[in-house]
Amino acid sequence: MTLSADNPYRLPPAQSDHPGNLRKQAYIEAEQVRRMAETPQRPANMAFFEQRLSRASTAPKSRPRIGYLCNLVPVEIMMAANADPVRLDNGNGAAAAAGEEILAGDICPLAKATLGVFLRENGLPRTCDAYVVPAACDAKRKLAEILSDFAPVFAMALPPDNDSARHASGMAAELKRLAAFTAGITGTAPDRRRLRDAIGLTVRRSDIVRRLQEARVRHPEALALRDLFLCIQSSLFSPEPLETWLEPASRLLTEVEAFTPERRRLRPRIILTGAPAVWPNFKVLNVLEECGADAVADTLCTGAQACIDPAVLSEDSLDACLRALAARSIFGAACPCFTSQVTRLNRVLDLVEQTGAAGVVQYSLRLCQSFDMENYRLERILKGRRIPFLNLRTDYSLEDTEQLRVRIEAFLETL
Amino acid sequence: MITAGLDIGSTTSKAVLYDGVRILGTAVIPNLALPSDSARCVFDAGLLSAGLDRSRVEAVAATGYGRRLAGFGDLVVTEIKACALGVGHAGSPHGPIRTVLDLGGQDTKVIAIGDQGEVQDFAMNDKCAAGTGRFLELLARKLDLTFDEFVQAALRSENPVHMNSTCAVFAESEVVSLLARGISKDEIAAGAHQAIAERIGAMVRRVGQQEVIAFVGGGALNQALARSVEESLNRTVFIPDSPQTLVALGAAIAAFGRSREGVF
Repeated sequence: MTLSADNPYRLPPAQSDHPGNLRKQAYIEAEQVRRMAETPQRPANMAFFEQRLSRASTAPKSRPRIGYLCNLVPVEIMMAANADPVRLDNGNGAAAAAGEEILAGDICPLAKATLGVFLRENGLPRTCDAYVVPAACDAKRKLAEILSDFAPVFAMALPPDNDSARHASGMAAELKRLAAFTAGITGTAPDRRRLRDAIGLTVRRSDIVRRLQEARVRHPEALALRDLFLCIQSSLFSPEPLETWLEPASRLLTEVEAFTPERRRLRPRIILTGAPAVWPNFKVLNVLEECGADAVADTLCTGAQACIDPAVLSEDSLDACLRALAARSIFGAACPCFTSQVTRLNRVLDLVEQTGAAGVVQYSLRLCQSFDMENYRLERILKGRRIPFLNLRTDYSLEDTEQLRVRIEAFLETL
Repeated sequence: MITAGLDIGSTTSKAVLYDGVRILGTAVIPNLALPSDSARCVFDAGLLSAGLDRSRVEAVAATGYGRRLAGFGDLVVTEIKACALGVGHAGSPHGPIRTVLDLGGQDTKVIAIGDQGEVQDFAMNDKCAAGTGRFLELLARKLDLTFDEFVQAALRSENPVHMNSTCAVFAESEVVSLLARGISKDEIAAGAHQAIAERIGAMVRRVGQQEVIAFVGGGALNQALARSVEESLNRTVFIPDSPQTLVALGAAIAAFGRSREGVF
């Protein structure tokens, strides 16, 4: 449904101007850049991706801009409507603290950090003409309502489970409503040809990410997981057109694919699963890699999973395009907001087998009930198959970095 | 060959000198401001207790929170691995120990040990200090008792009060209202121990408990806590000799093993 400006209970957009908090947000980002610069054998042009993210809030705006939350939103619909999509989920611990001016402390840190950035008058979210927020978890559902004070929001309905046989036509109809909403904002309807072109662009991104990932499985030292995340997120969290990302990312791919190791790699291989790690909060990725693990693959919705699967078109009618987008974005998602966790379990087990991983680490975000509760089955299934498993419960603050280090080092010692 | 293990914890630092069979000397000191100073001091104290010169020590392993900041240590191991090694060496009259509870100043850990003495699984308190030794220290202060008096008060009590809070901060205000209701310090002290033991019990059960549980770390020196943990788990709790220096001993054993292999 559309949450719009004619809501009789609309409030003035919440504001907060706290220079100390902004300085802290900038510090956290600079510190992450500094830390990643210490990665040994880092590919040459990673600075491009860092800069693309750090200038996101000041990028010049040449056409309508639509902000969205979650990986469940098919961005091609916005691109085909002549808008620049930009993902607005935020991971900065200081932004989460700013969000606590509005939301209670024991609310999901992702929701708090995301809202925290909206409170800045000149922040990236405020440059958007509309927002798309899937009704995924409770936090996102209610955040959609709060964000409607800033600009019109399309609260995208989702089925309770991702059984495509039951829900395909309903989801295609919802995406059609999203297309109409987007056209209302930009004045351009996403027709069949434009949608096909947009899908063509994201397929090229998927191809690059898939090949980067395959190269990392061969030689994890060719590209650290946090650099893969940086590369991927700079295409999602920046309003700059995807076309301008493809070429530097292709150059990175050439460099990574050409990597030849000097010696045999003996580090234990780990699969990372769980909650989203959003730039600049790569705390868990930092500690995992600094403690000597090779995180070879992930199922995070801000990692490879965010764009590794292409939309597959069997025919090119508008309806077929929307069904292909729903199949990729919604029915293929491993998000715990859906009833069954079978998709994620299958993916984790497949990745363990394909990569020869020695163990699985779950990044469990405190106050996210869905990931926390999925831990029950995940842990028992993995341990039942004699796959070592570690559940890391943490949030977006950096204060428990040392405690995480003890857990991860001890886990690696057991492998 | 002689090796040393240094356990630079959150509250105290511990050292053990080890010759492959016996413990030659131990030391425990309260932490200084810098982990590197604590490490140097406790190492010297350990040498003194063993009557050894520094040059006799082949290798030093560091563990605990300050393990990377200690400034020396030829080997760094986590306190979880060190604890498993230390418990294996200590032995027990109940046969091999498979479950260890390590209660430190800031952390509580439960470790499951396999057939070969290896760490199979572990759990730690996340983020906050509820359920750790520091909780009891703060409450003792609130009751205006020394820590020893606090423990003795808990042991005397026959009717522990039920405490709702294991949060160190909220528990302080709960203690104030309990005192205002005329509840005796003995009952409050015992209630605090029970509250911690219940919280620890849930963590032990999550990892999976065996018939006998070894209780180590500074917390194991507290008899009232040992009794409450035993009641809460309904299992035999075995406290090895010198539970506070067991992790440092494990580090010394790790250093010994690695030196013998000639690999660092």
